[in-house]
Amino acid sequence: MSTIHPDQITAERLAGLTRGVQGGMAPAPGTGDGTLIDTPGVRPPLVLNSRSFKEVTDIICGYAENSPPRWWLPLFGLVSTVAGLGGALIGYLVITGIGAWGMNNQVDWAWDITNFVFWIGIGHAGTLISAILCLLKQKWRTAVNRSAEAMTIFAVICAATFPGIHIGRQWMAWMLFPIPNANAIWPNFRSPLLWDVFAVSTYGTVSALFWFMGMIPDFASLRDRADRRLRANPEGGARLLPFLPVRIDRLRALVYGFLAMGWRNSGRHWHRYEAAYLILAGISTPLVLSVHSIVSFDFATSILPGWHTTIFPPYFVAGAIFGGFAMVLFLLIPARELYPNMKDFITLRHVENMAKIILVTGMMVGFAYSMEFFIAWYGANEYELYCFQNRAFGPYWWAYWTMIGCNVLSPQLFWFKAMRQKPLVVFIVSCAVTVGMWFERFVIIVSSLHRTFLPGEWNMFHPTFVDVGIFVGSCGVFVTLFLLFMRFLPMFAMAELKAVLPQASPHWHGYGHGDHSDHGHGANGHNGHDSHAPARHSSRGAH
Amino acid sequence: MSLIFPKWLNLLPTAAAIGGLLGFTGVVGGFWYYATPKFFKVGYMPKQPGGGFNHQIHAGKLGLDCRYCHTKVEKSAEANIPNVATCYGCHADNRLAKLATSETHKERTQFVREAYAQNTSIEWRRVHKVPDYVRNFPHNIHINAGVSCYSCHGQITAMPVVFEAQPLSMSWCLDCHRNPESQVVPRDKVTQLQWVQEEFARRSAAGDNGVAEGKKLLDAVQANPPQNCGACHY
Repeated sequence: MSTIHPDQITAERLAGLTRGVQGGMAPAPGTGDGTLIDTPGVRPPLVLNSRSFKEVTDIICGYAENSPPRWWLPLFGLVSTVAGLGGALIGYLVITGIGAWGMNNQVDWAWDITNFVFWIGIGHAGTLISAILCLLKQKWRTAVNRSAEAMTIFAVICAATFPGIHIGRQWMAWMLFPIPNANAIWPNFRSPLLWDVFAVSTYGTVSALFWFMGMIPDFASLRDRADRRLRANPEGGARLLPFLPVRIDRLRALVYGFLAMGWRNSGRHWHRYEAAYLILAGISTPLVLSVHSIVSFDFATSILPGWHTTIFPPYFVAGAIFGGFAMVLFLLIPARELYPNMKDFITLRHVENMAKIILVTGMMVGFAYSMEFFIAWYGANEYELYCFQNRAFGPYWWAYWTMIGCNVLSPQLFWFKAMRQKPLVVFIVSCAVTVGMWFERFVIIVSSLHRTFLPGEWNMFHPTFVDVGIFVGSCGVFVTLFLLFMRFLPMFAMAELKAVLPQASPHWHGYGHGDHSDHGHGANGHNGHDSHAPARHSSRGAH
Repeated sequence: MSLIFPKWLNLLPTAAAIGGLLGFTGVVGGFWYYATPKFFKVGYMPKQPGGGFNHQIHAGKLGLDCRYCHTKVEKSAEANIPNVATCYGCHADNRLAKLATSETHKERTQFVREAYAQNTSIEWRRVHKVPDYVRNFPHNIHINAGVSCYSCHGQITAMPVVFEAQPLSMSWCLDCHRNPESQVVPRDKVTQLQWVQEEFARRSAAGDNGVAEGKKLLDAVQANPPQNCGACHY
């Protein structure tokens, strides 16, 4: 490529010649924010506005240090109230018994397990981003991995609630685990419900470790910045409350300092950190596939038509990644609009990449839906065939077609580049997918259970306000935790983000020098000297 | 790196690890010791009316057979508690002179005659009780398979007031259901607790804990203790 990019402004900005407007910039016509160039010779930048290392630190630490945006506190009040009401309803459920839910002898799993599978599936995007995309060196993951991992943890917390409260005698929940006891009985080791306990607890532990370990260097940055402010201003500084002698920075230094676990930024620390990161990525990689496979065994190992299917494990895993990425977009698209400068890190390219993953996994899920019907016909088992006919045309037809509309049809929009590149469209589709994935689990569980072999057993499921309230409450818990994360923790992996800046390349020539003729701005050594395209300047990272 | 914490705080991880380990061991150990039935059930000895029926005198010294009072134990699931008439059979006014002459004895058994005269029950407190989600323990089946009273109730003939000698926990039930050989005696010796105690002592001295002998006895009665949930819970 021997001409400069047709969009002169973008090209100059990408070359570091001009700086974008602080706090978001006017998108250049035709190329969005400049990261959507599809010319093979141009690698779009992963961080916009030619941010320096210091700016990256200042912006990201600023999210945790400055007062939150004006909408934060009212939203937090709202969702934490919802979470509290959900908790109160769980209390009501424990006191009353699970008869407070709408389940009956025929439909004995309903919203409880639907919600469990829904939430546990959500988490898979975080693990995929942090583990598999890490091993595949997909550098765009650095902007979204921290928040996706946080989302994973919070989703696992929501998910773990439901098996715990659906057992009827919640005070016996410890019997889920193989603990020696005075009854000399053990969980059934041949039951996938027990494998589930192991799968989910391993998943939660590894995800939490991965998340926490990744944050250690960033905690150290926050600690050092707080400590520096304290030293610069030994007497003053904002206080926690006007009448308390505790200064906020003192508290920050202590808390972040504790969490940083003595991180000194030494070479040895980084060496250990990188090794541990790779090990955890290696451990997490099989978890992406195993956890939801085992969740699917809860159904697939039974003999119930509609559940007893060998396609379930891959189908569930694809669905989990599908729903998880939808949730990442659901959280991050509003966040990048509402937080200052966040569009520099989460660019339209990130949105588009995730939209592509949604398209691919949505097609996989759609294939699984149709294959279930094909096998029901091809297998010539009348119960199986009836189950699927009933699923699509029985009393729960509306749930089935909601699922098809949200999960199979709505992502088809992403065949069109223009749709993938519009955050509003992507946001709406991700909302639809999130709804659709909840309905998928509802369809699998309730429509299979409500009409089994004997027509005398057939029954319908009607949710009660406790069903609805606890599910809405779990959404409240999820958003509450995510808001707290955005307020108090480093929302991006700063070191990783800096590593994808052009300055991190050994071939980098310096900030904003004017020479862009044929000197070789390329950050990639191999094309550094055959290029005078300014757009190559920030060319690091795959996309 | 900023110096926020004093240097001695480097001990924190070690201290936390050791403390955590000790704490965990303490909690597990404490729970295992204090919160299992072998602590809170063994030795349970409620206060009984009239000071309680003295098994040491009646079943031990006088040699009354268990079945003299617990009449249905071989035929029914329930080892019945005798009614007042059974007590009164011996402790009636006109018979008392032959059995015991002292004034103290007469005073201490007065409640039996009062209850009989008023046609009321004596409200004995139940000592051995399994939870309500366990089917009534079938005494007849166990007795007829050759499980002695001694195995579950201990040396009753030496108890002035009855107390719970065994934990009656589910694992304790299953210990025997999984290894029944050690607790089986010949059918006609089931209620001879003194003999059974000596027999068990002899067997454990013999080396194999009486497994071989127990197996023979089990084969003779064709007993096969169930281990499925429905055997006890339904």
